[in-house]
Amino acid sequence: MAPKPVTSPVPEAWYPTLAVLMISVGLIVTASFFIYEATSSRKNRSLAKELTRGTIASIFLGFGSLFLLLASGVYV
Amino acid sequence: MAFRLDLLLITLALILSPVLSDLIFTKVDRRIDLTSQIVRVSSTIRVENEGTDVVSEVLLAFPEEQAKYLAHIQATLKEGKGKTKGPAINFPVDVVYPKEIPPALKFYSVSLPKGLNKGDSLTFDVLAVFTHVLRPFPETITQGDVQFVVFLDSAYFLSPYTVKVQSLSVKLPEARIESYTKLENTKIHGSEIKYGPYENLPPYSFTPIRFHFENNKPFPVAQELVREIEISHWGSIQITEHYNLVHGGAQSRGEFSRLDYQARPYAKGASAFRNLVVKLPPRTHSVYYRDEIGNISTSHLWGDSKKTELEIEPRYPLFGGWRTSFTIGYSLPLQDFLFQDQGKRFLSISFGSPINEVVIDRLVVMVVLPEGSSDISVSVPFSHKQWYETKFSHLDISGRPVVVLEKEKVVPEHNQHFQVYYKFNSISMLREPVMLIFGFFILFVSCIIYMHSDMSISKSSASYLAKLQWDEVQTVIQQVQNVINRCLTTHDKLEASLRDLSRTGDVQACKAARKTVEASLKELSKELKPLISFLQSSQQATQILPKVEELVAKERELQERLVAKHTTVVDCYEKKLGGREIENKVTSQQQRITTLRQEVDDLLEFIDEI
Repeated sequence: MAPKPVTSPVPEAWYPTLAVLMISVGLIVTASFFIYEATSSRKNRSLAKELTRGTIASIFLGFGSLFLLLASGVYV
Repeated sequence: MAFRLDLLLITLALILSPVLSDLIFTKVDRRIDLTSQIVRVSSTIRVENEGTDVVSEVLLAFPEEQAKYLAHIQATLKEGKGKTKGPAINFPVDVVYPKEIPPALKFYSVSLPKGLNKGDSLTFDVLAVFTHVLRPFPETITQGDVQFVVFLDSAYFLSPYTVKVQSLSVKLPEARIESYTKLENTKIHGSEIKYGPYENLPPYSFTPIRFHFENNKPFPVAQELVREIEISHWGSIQITEHYNLVHGGAQSRGEFSRLDYQARPYAKGASAFRNLVVKLPPRTHSVYYRDEIGNISTSHLWGDSKKTELEIEPRYPLFGGWRTSFTIGYSLPLQDFLFQDQGKRFLSISFGSPINEVVIDRLVVMVVLPEGSSDISVSVPFSHKQWYETKFSHLDISGRPVVVLEKEKVVPEHNQHFQVYYKFNSISMLREPVMLIFGFFILFVSCIIYMHSDMSISKSSASYLAKLQWDEVQTVIQQVQNVINRCLTTHDKLEASLRDLSRTGDVQACKAARKTVEASLKELSKELKPLISFLQSSQQATQILPKVEELVAKERELQERLVAKHTTVVDCYEKKLGGREIENKVTSQQQRITTLRQEVDDLLEFIDEI
């Protein structure tokens, strides 16, 4: 078997687009998280809702910032 | 010093004539290339076995004075002749110390894998590359002087075997030749000097020859070069090269005039060099050139599908003995240099410096593998020192494994590909994103904890209790809002059923819809009751209570009106009245409904702002 070249799992040309998209989605979800935190009163707040919003936001922000690093040339 | 050595060797040749084996060199053609700072001696040797035993190694001898500058030696077998040349086979070459070793000589043994039978002969090429053997003479020159160098060697091929026929040609740069040794059979052709042929010379024959000539080629010597090759499986190989460069020619003496140099660079600075050409692989990107104080702007980059060329100029022209240090860095696409084979990944990349004709005194190559690599092994086609380190970089926990390779005296001939093999699980690539996600998640969790925690110190103070009560009031008001909003959606359902009616004329379905809506509205008003009564009992809510009550009242009125309108319309349909009549009947109701809806919305907004 001849050696196969190893490539990146995501094409490098997509990094900037992915970074912008994922960070903007992440920021929108973050905003909704904080709006929810600030507007709902303590008794009405549901922990499950907070945690799901937090998780979704952190997944998008995490991948978004990774792609931002890669797009700006900081290869982690 | 060199002459004393020569005398010693001649005496040696007389005293020692040990017959190492029954080999003889039937023909030796030696070519010495002195055109650059690197001396390349290539010899084509035809060897014949005159003994009875099979011989598997051929010895090559070099004077110790020369051998200590030897940077690279290779022996290649050429099969076939002319255009039918087969692939070149490299023979292993090792240092050996034979018994009865003549002093001041160093031996290299070329191993012949197939051996040489009695009477057989074989032709092979030996390339020996020397650095720092061209001695500048005079040793110091001024800015306007040209650089002269001296080279010493033997006119005869120094060998432990008898040499039947031999010749030597020396290629000098196309410039002035100050002097050269004239022997019998010496011919000069422009810049090429030929010695020989000489016939039937005994072992260890030696005749010193000396060349003194002008050589203004650049003498860049990297006293130390540290190359750092960092692999990222996210699609890039980043190479950073730290150079510590010196001009290795004749030392500069006296003062330097930038004006003279600028005006007539060839006359006033013939031995200096001002730029270096770096040959990089194709598809190189993100190239930079800087030193300790920042970016150096004097560089040019161009490339095509086969190569990328970077031309860099140090901050000042380099004269003899002047030094400079700088860093160049570039990124290469991953798929050109990283491969996968049988479950292992390997990097295959060039070892030496990409700069043209540079001599490196000490080269350190550091290969930084991604975090989580294991089972590391290295394959380098020549001798070197090797050890392992760990490097911490962006988003690392345990650090990245680093393979460090060190080699002294590196010449462009060492720019061969070497391989670093390692095992890597693709799941480990998710380490970095997971770490980032976890970081953000901690931020959110800490926000949640902060919002849920009660930080007040005195749990019984009046203001704290008031705050608690106010919280409760707020909760209830939000619940009220919630209920009202659900009521409004139910109203919308009622309206929708009317629209359905006008489209389909299905009176029964419309009635059924009204029933369900009425039921759910009842449920909602039941839900509302305890909330209102709580607000009425609470002191904190006195301010907001009228508004809430007004809201509830208006909503109730809205409900009634809507149901009334619905009943009217359905009745009209049952009586099969025309569209215009229905419209006339409900207009006044509709107006009231619109104003009520507006008032309810305003009230909701008002309460929301509190």
